[in-house]
Amino acid sequence: MSVTLSELSLRNARRQTRDYLVYFVTVVMAAALLYSFNGLVFSQEISTLSGSISMLPTMILLASVVVVYVFGWLVAYATRFMLLRRGRELGIYLLIGLENRQVAGLFFQENLAVGGCALVLGTALGGLLYQAFRAIVLTLFGLPYTFSLGFSLPALGLTVFYFALIYLIALRRSRKYIRKAQIHDLIYVDQVNEDLVIRTGKMRRWIFSVSIALGVVGTCLLMAGGSVLGMIGAACVIAFLFGFFLSFASGVPAFFEKRPARKYRGQNLLVFRTLTAKLATMGTLMAVISLIFTATLISEGTGMMFRGLFNGRAAESACFDLYIGGAGDGSLSQDYLDYIQANISVEQALCYPIYQAEDCRVMDYVESGEEDYYRYLDRDPVLRYSDYAALRAIAGYPPVKFQPGEYLIHCRAYLEKRLTGYTQPVSLGRTSLTPGGVYTEHLLQNYDTSNGPRYIIVVPDEAVEGLAVLHYAYAARTVRPVTEVQFNDLCDINYRLVEQNLQPGYSEIHAKAQEEADAAAQTVLCVFPLFFLALSLTMTAATILTIQQLSETERYRRQFQLLQKLGMDRSEMGKALRNQFAIYYTLPAVPPVLIGVPFILHLAHAPEPGVMVGMSSPGVIAAISLGIFFLIYVIYILLAYTSLKRNILPK
Amino acid sequence: MLQVQNIEKYYGSKNNVTKALDRVSFDVEDGEFLAIMGASGSGKTTLLNCISTIDTISAGKILLDGVSVADLSESKLARFRRERLGFVFQDFNLLDTLTIEENIGLALSLNHQDCGTVQNRVREVAGKLGITDILTKFPYQVSGGQKQRAACARAMVAGQSLLLADEPTGALDSRASKNLLEIMSTMNREMEATILMVTHDAYSASYAKRVLFLKDGRVFNELLRGERGRSVFYHEILDVLAVLGGDVSDVI
Repeated sequence: MSVTLSELSLRNARRQTRDYLVYFVTVVMAAALLYSFNGLVFSQEISTLSGSISMLPTMILLASVVVVYVFGWLVAYATRFMLLRRGRELGIYLLIGLENRQVAGLFFQENLAVGGCALVLGTALGGLLYQAFRAIVLTLFGLPYTFSLGFSLPALGLTVFYFALIYLIALRRSRKYIRKAQIHDLIYVDQVNEDLVIRTGKMRRWIFSVSIALGVVGTCLLMAGGSVLGMIGAACVIAFLFGFFLSFASGVPAFFEKRPARKYRGQNLLVFRTLTAKLATMGTLMAVISLIFTATLISEGTGMMFRGLFNGRAAESACFDLYIGGAGDGSLSQDYLDYIQANISVEQALCYPIYQAEDCRVMDYVESGEEDYYRYLDRDPVLRYSDYAALRAIAGYPPVKFQPGEYLIHCRAYLEKRLTGYTQPVSLGRTSLTPGGVYTEHLLQNYDTSNGPRYIIVVPDEAVEGLAVLHYAYAARTVRPVTEVQFNDLCDINYRLVEQNLQPGYSEIHAKAQEEADAAAQTVLCVFPLFFLALSLTMTAATILTIQQLSETERYRRQFQLLQKLGMDRSEMGKALRNQFAIYYTLPAVPPVLIGVPFILHLAHAPEPGVMVGMSSPGVIAAISLGIFFLIYVIYILLAYTSLKRNILPK
Repeated sequence: MLQVQNIEKYYGSKNNVTKALDRVSFDVEDGEFLAIMGASGSGKTTLLNCISTIDTISAGKILLDGVSVADLSESKLARFRRERLGFVFQDFNLLDTLTIEENIGLALSLNHQDCGTVQNRVREVAGKLGITDILTKFPYQVSGGQKQRAACARAMVAGQSLLLADEPTGALDSRASKNLLEIMSTMNREMEATILMVTHDAYSASYAKRVLFLKDGRVFNELLRGERGRSVFYHEILDVLAVLGGDVSDVI
């Protein structure tokens, strides 16, 4: 029955896990995330997937620095919060004869026990999470996935190192506080009033107005881009969030005091008093949480934008197993063709010219529309129908109907609507052609060395007579995918020809396998670290909000018991609780949405036209980013709400 | 045993100083049962906190068996609290994670007593205080009166020579209050425990052998029970309180 300090630590650790379950679950998830991403860092299987993925460990390690800092802040905050909540208990330890250093040790041990426990559970969960990440990566590379539960010692070592760093730094401050604390400070810590940061109404109004202006300016500067403007914009946004929350939270009581009619309407009094008691002293914290949410949304949006960009580019560039678009009007160098003949088994191939029309009427028409279009050429690009039909066959598309005396337009999907509206005839020499239809399958229409930049006019073979050649191109369907080595050899030929002045400029070379591997690698490189960051940030901020809310359980319970005695029925209490929850959790999420959504929309418009379409269009990206953010956020809100409702509303 | 010499205690900042104790002096003899009374804000709890080393004094001296508590190092102060002082608070201050038995025995465990000794001492004290049957329960499973008796047991189990009680009956009903006060009297009489109790309740104070009255941080009056009965002493306390000007709620 004798209780030692270690046993006491363990009991307290168990209680901490129970009382702050949401925090514990988040720390477990933190360990799981760190372990699983470290698994990617040390995975031999993944590092050998493609040469382009070699940067993945560096990217994840860089993201880990931020994630460790964020989780460190969470642990430091939660530890400090629990320390102050348990001040009386720690004071009793001192009263019954423990020395400050023993109490500090006790607190240190119990937090280490909680951290250790979270680390063990998190590592186990991280093993499963790593499998999920592995499956995603292999699927992106088009490789088969088989479940194999492994254990990575280096990944565990790095996770333990991160955790040790997080806990030692976070607990150092608490340890110092306890070692210096007087019994009186600890025992009566719950009776200390927190200070309002801004006291006078004039100052509050001034700060509120300035912060709103800074918020608008900051968001505009962020969208304007550029490193200097972006940094000034970020500083303005930070200033806005702090100014807004400090002035808003302390301004709410003043607002209601001046409007008693509103204060006493419905459940306003109850909701407003409960909230202001919390918010008035949480201005700084709310600003930090809002800042974290803004960073989360921007990370998610940027991640989604990169995913869309890489996929969009790859979809267009990977439509042929092999494509070489020569620069200049000379025929394609024999060196390419010799290499292909010697090294690559080709099923069907075509070497063909792209012509230039005599004018640029179609281009003028496209340019006059609302769609983004960059003018790469001075005249419309033209392709012979026989070559077009062969290219469609090589790319695996069905044949199209083509009537004599007609022309077709093949364009990127985003120009379809615009070009369908083009009803003018096309004149080539003495031939006049009428519109025969618009097709939009991927046909490699990127630049002036492609099959037309964004669009090409397909005409009968005889109509190209007398037209100047823009450039020559080669497209092939191969028996086996072009390997990374073969692709690199072709690129080497390209560089050599330019160096030896045998080619007027660099050719455009694409191999389907390489394009898809590059897109997969770039997606993994950019999206994984950004989502790693976003997930960690959301969890941290939502946990702190939830800890703050759940820590009031006892006070709320007493309040609702009293309200029941005063005649309030359960449904009204439930409604008041829901209102209070809605405002409490909505407040820190509003500024991030107002800043993040315009930023994401602007960012998603930045890539070249025609890439961010369909599921990658700016609106969809913003919606998905918001969806992911709110999905995680709502989980925390529901956890807090169900827990609080169960514990505080009278049966 | 205890000598309080001209102590002063100030709270607040430079521009807003509150004098909570103003040159308070008194002695407590071995085995004495002393009550300190006064209205809310008179400085009772501050005085007890200063004596119990929970709070520090701004001026003056507190000597326990001739030793100034302010001069003790951290480790000696901890040892001093462990071995010499026992505390009973209005809100019990028992640890929720420990059973009643473990709460009582914690100080002994921390004194590195062996398990058998701890168990024997706990059972002995629990027997005297009538809480043997609740030893295996957790604080939330027992009544307020039982919790307060457990707090008394914890305060005495290590053989502490001075029991400091801050409004010990404040959270109890009249029956539990009477029961606790009887127990404290018995502890004082039979176990020779020195008790210093802060209260604003005249009935509780009437169990003491001597009552000190505080007003505005100063000792206003002193009342000795002597050989008089408790009932007579109770009425005398009420008379002093009437002069002191405490409101009705303070004396009931």
